Amino acid sequence: MQPAAEFVHWMFATGFLLLGLCLLAQAVVGDEVWRRRRWRAYLWPGLAFLMGVLMWPVMVLYTNSTIHMVAHGSWAQAMMLAGGAELGLVRGKLKSSYWHLTMPLAFLVSGTAILVHEQNGWLFARAAFLHHLIGWLMIAGAIFPFAAAFRPRSAVWRSGFALAFVVLGVLLYCDRDVAPIFGHISAQAGTPHR
Amino acid sequence: MLPGVAWAHATLTQTIPGFAKRVQRSPAFVELRFDQSVKALPNAITVYTAKGKIVSGRARGGTDRRIVTVPVHNLQRGGYTVRWRLVSADSHVVSGVFTFGVRRTAPKVTEAFGASGPTTTEHVVRWLYFLALALVAGGLGFRLLVVRGPLPTRAERRFYLLTGAGVVAAIEVGILAFLLRAEDALQLPFGAFFYGDLSPLASTRFGTAFVAMTLGFALVSAFLFLAWLTDRTVLLWPAFLLAIGFASGLSLSGHSAVDSGSSWLSELADWAHLTAASLWVGGLVQLAFVVWPLAPGLRRGAFLGFSKLATVLIAVLLSAGIYLSVLRLPRLSDLWTAGYGQVLLVKLALVSLALLWGAAHHFLVRPSLERGAPLFAGLPRSLIGESAVGMAILLAAAVLVESRPPPRPPAAPSIASHASTP
Repeated sequence: MQPAAEFVHWMFATGFLLLGLCLLAQAVVGDEVWRRRRWRAYLWPGLAFLMGVLMWPVMVLYTNSTIHMVAHGSWAQAMMLAGGAELGLVRGKLKSSYWHLTMPLAFLVSGTAILVHEQNGWLFARAAFLHHLIGWLMIAGAIFPFAAAFRPRSAVWRSGFALAFVVLGVLLYCDRDVAPIFGHISAQAGTPHR
Repeated sequence: MLPGVAWAHATLTQTIPGFAKRVQRSPAFVELRFDQSVKALPNAITVYTAKGKIVSGRARGGTDRRIVTVPVHNLQRGGYTVRWRLVSADSHVVSGVFTFGVRRTAPKVTEAFGASGPTTTEHVVRWLYFLALALVAGGLGFRLLVVRGPLPTRAERRFYLLTGAGVVAAIEVGILAFLLRAEDALQLPFGAFFYGDLSPLASTRFGTAFVAMTLGFALVSAFLFLAWLTDRTVLLWPAFLLAIGFASGLSLSGHSAVDSGSSWLSELADWAHLTAASLWVGGLVQLAFVVWPLAPGLRRGAFLGFSKLATVLIAVLLSAGIYLSVLRLPRLSDLWTAGYGQVLLVKLALVSLALLWGAAHHFLVRPSLERGAPLFAGLPRSLIGESAVGMAILLAAAVLVESRPPPRPPAAPSIASHASTP
């Protein structure tokens, strides 16, 4: 028995929101304070890695189109790679700070995948609009982890990075509704609900 | 029951008759219901018999624009393939295939009319899958059963690199294999295949194996990563057990599970055969590419340890292989008359070469190492050679797995039936 697709979106939205809030807290209080408890250093990279692992069931159990399946597979791998690299850096198993670049790479791959997998236009319905918005947010938002990799002490880049996840979480909560967007809804989109 | 609805182009939500359903009477029409409006062209739905005869009329939409129907006429007993291709109201083409049976079991979707069977690409992909399995299961087995203690840092890193590459390849190649099989069943151009509905394929044995194995190897990758991250070798055990456990997906969805004469014993033998081959080839790779170049102090012990393990593996490999060959080739002449038998002959020739190679290591090199003699200079090249033969055997196995064994002869009439004949 599979959960409704809405619930799956909301579960991942919760994950992204937590991830963003952890990053935001770390950006606000600074690394020194954040890492006074050692486990906290592993918190957000571990969460990102776990969400990557949990994306696999979504990928294999919702196979109603090839592109849908491939897109979810790319998100699973992107999150596992980026989360794993950050865990490796925290643990000291990876030394080069270039490993931080796996995060902007994950943003770019994920953003491209969501744009490719959404076949309808922006104003088709709310969900289509949000898919486009999330896709472009991820692509544009890649600048934050990219810049933070080279300017790790910059509060601006780190906060932007954190807020990108918070916004992503909020947008995912709003996703999957057949509803108008700015007063528009395609006649083919189905009956609005909720 | 169809999977959850993707929010994009129109998605098929219900069919009449249902996916892979057996119906007792010929339906008057085939109906497809979508979650969004669709535009039905006259040839939007085509129903084929097993021999490819079209038995459907012109497709048409109903007052509800999400429903498309096509009339069919007095279908005889048999299996039928429904291929559909519609323009979603948002102008995207959506398409798919499913099967149903009238007074008989529906054909598998991989055997739908128009599916062409395995291609060379599928053989290569299956071979890559075997190689990936050997890298991950064999690598983990070698690390846990042969070289149990700590490895030098560089050797440890290379072990994780090779095994990690194996598990990533197992996932990626598994996805590719599933998509190739789906492409074959759907028979769609690449662009349209992007939006093809894969759910009928996901409900086949092959699809179920794909789902289970992808999830299994995702877990293996997580355990392998955690073992590397925390330097805890104990975490390699669940990775190893999951890898060899989920490898059974191949046995449970292949010839050993579905062909006539199959039983739990044939499935078990197939799994044992596959696992032993993976451990053997993967172990050789670790010995040749990790221990030999990067852990000189461990060479002698690793070689002797692997030699003992290989003896057991070869025994399992041979006994399971002989049992499966007898099961799948009822007549000896099938070996040279049937395509399956000919591929098996090639495989047997390669296995013989590998056995001779292994015997040379076991009976010539091992005793001298046990006596404390210096290591034979050509041994690393010899190990690489044996690994290469092992990989060639996996290629032959990949072709064999994708080939159809010859049919079993009909059972001879029993004595009882003779006795009852007047």
